Amino acid sequence: MMVPTMEIKPIPVPAMGTKVEWHLDQPYRARHLLILIAVIALLLFTGHRTEMDKMVVMTGQAVGNIVGLNSESQVVRGLSRVGESMWPPVIATREELSRFPEIDRNNLPLFASIEVREVEEQRMNVDSLEMEKHSTQVEQLVQPLGYAWTVFIKMLETIEIALWGTLLSVVLSLPLAWFAARNYTVNHFTYTLARGTISLLRSMPELIVALFLVLAYGFGPIAGVLALGLHAAGFLGKFYAEDIENADKKPQEALEAIGAGKVKTLWYGVMPQVVPQYIAYTLYILDRNVRMATVIGLVGAGGIGQELKGRFDMFQYDHVATILIAIFIVVFLLDQFSARLRAKLI
Amino acid sequence: MIKFNQISKQWPDGTKALSAIDFDIPKGQFCVILGPSGAGKSTLLRAVNGLMQPTAGHVAIDGVEFAPQTARELRHRVAMIHQHFNLTLRMSVAANVLAGLLPVVSNVRALLGWFTPEQRAKSCALLDRVGLDPKHLHRRAGELSGGQQQRVGIARAFMLNPEVVLADEPVASLDPKISRDILTLIRDAARERNTTVLCSLHQVDLAREFGDRIVGMRDGRIVFDGTPAEFTDERVEALYHGARWEDAPTDAGSDTVIDEFESQLVAA
Repeated sequence: MMVPTMEIKPIPVPAMGTKVEWHLDQPYRARHLLILIAVIALLLFTGHRTEMDKMVVMTGQAVGNIVGLNSESQVVRGLSRVGESMWPPVIATREELSRFPEIDRNNLPLFASIEVREVEEQRMNVDSLEMEKHSTQVEQLVQPLGYAWTVFIKMLETIEIALWGTLLSVVLSLPLAWFAARNYTVNHFTYTLARGTISLLRSMPELIVALFLVLAYGFGPIAGVLALGLHAAGFLGKFYAEDIENADKKPQEALEAIGAGKVKTLWYGVMPQVVPQYIAYTLYILDRNVRMATVIGLVGAGGIGQELKGRFDMFQYDHVATILIAIFIVVFLLDQFSARLRAKLI
Repeated sequence: MIKFNQISKQWPDGTKALSAIDFDIPKGQFCVILGPSGAGKSTLLRAVNGLMQPTAGHVAIDGVEFAPQTARELRHRVAMIHQHFNLTLRMSVAANVLAGLLPVVSNVRALLGWFTPEQRAKSCALLDRVGLDPKHLHRRAGELSGGQQQRVGIARAFMLNPEVVLADEPVASLDPKISRDILTLIRDAARERNTTVLCSLHQVDLAREFGDRIVGMRDGRIVFDGTPAEFTDERVEALYHGARWEDAPTDAGSDTVIDEFESQLVAA
């Protein structure tokens, strides 16, 4: 058989010294300079309004103070005052024994001990009508892990609030996602209704919702769980719905072809595909809810945040330090846990 | 019996996919629809279970015409095997096969995955019939090879004892050896149950080997209808003549194409 031969053309080489007619422009022009000036002007304007100039000066002073260049810095003074009162974090509790009338001296709670302390008191002298210092001996019940235990219990409550908030959001968002997925919704009305609900839920910040719910349900975890659950349902509903819409159509077509119906097609043709993403979103929401649960505690919605707010208002910064460390540990552990769970399930 | 009665299909953009297709397929026949890509083979198949609504004409199975009221009932009787297998890849093989029963299972049972012992036994029997092992039951469908996935697809199709199996290019994404195994499986499983098979293919040699009857299509029309013996090389030439190169058969039927291609090269 004959093999057709190819005609080979050489690549033309220009003669030495020929000037090339192309040119490559430099990347910047006057227009870019104008844009740069406008951006800098805008930054300077908003920077002054947000006191960024002051921030730079104060931070500079603080750095100078630390390395010994100047003697005065408001930032260092403020921080060191708080820092000194924060350290060491409180682990133990000391309470006057007289507050526990039923306690059995020979059978104290685990690790607890009784210490005698001299306490100075200001008392009015009835005769001279002047304040005088008196020192009295007071017996105190000391529990070496008392406050750590209190924080642990409060932290547990926060985690429980976050868990139930997450559970509530999943339960609410699954049906919402179904109606908000264009290819599985019943009709245009249900689609718009579901999308509207999702947007509404997502647009309400947890903190504000919690404020109102505390008014409705009183102080405590109910307001916290509802606030977290409602906001997260908006988030999950949106992402769940988009995953249903984007799922691979082929298995759905196979089930549609035999007339399986929408519910069963969704369950057998879509859900298995979207489960990994659903787990990822839900774990993110759990992580976020643990952090948000500490914040909404500040407005009285239960958990560690409520404790934090109380201690902060009483200037007990050493207690605050214990709480902040506890929050960090929990967020760190949760991150490790969700990373492992994701690796296992996906 | 499947009766195509003057089926026409025009897409919204005006292209004519099918022009007055009119023929009958007797019960138990393995009928191959052969033709280049874009001939309208898939469109014709999808008219049988209503995935495609013809603009004119109707399809009837044992005298029952496809209509919205009869859709559910007809779809139970018509199974489908797909070119890309269309399994739920992250679901187990067992669940994929049981999914073939979904039209007759209640929502509650389906959502719980709670099938009767007979239904589970049937899925095992069919998986055994298509040549898979018990160890495959709990594997994810996505972990299987293409050939094995199509076996699962066949098992799923036969779960409801269909009267008709539509096989839409069932071997287009498989190699020639596995293509033969898969087509043998579909043909034999259908014969055992006296099931009618309507199978679209683009490979001439496979069509000749497996079809009881070959219906050749081009540009939405039937250009050949007869037995494999009547489907001579001249008829093949007539069917594919003038078709664009990318429409020509690829896998097993490609020998003839390469010959023609070489002769053209020599001529040039």
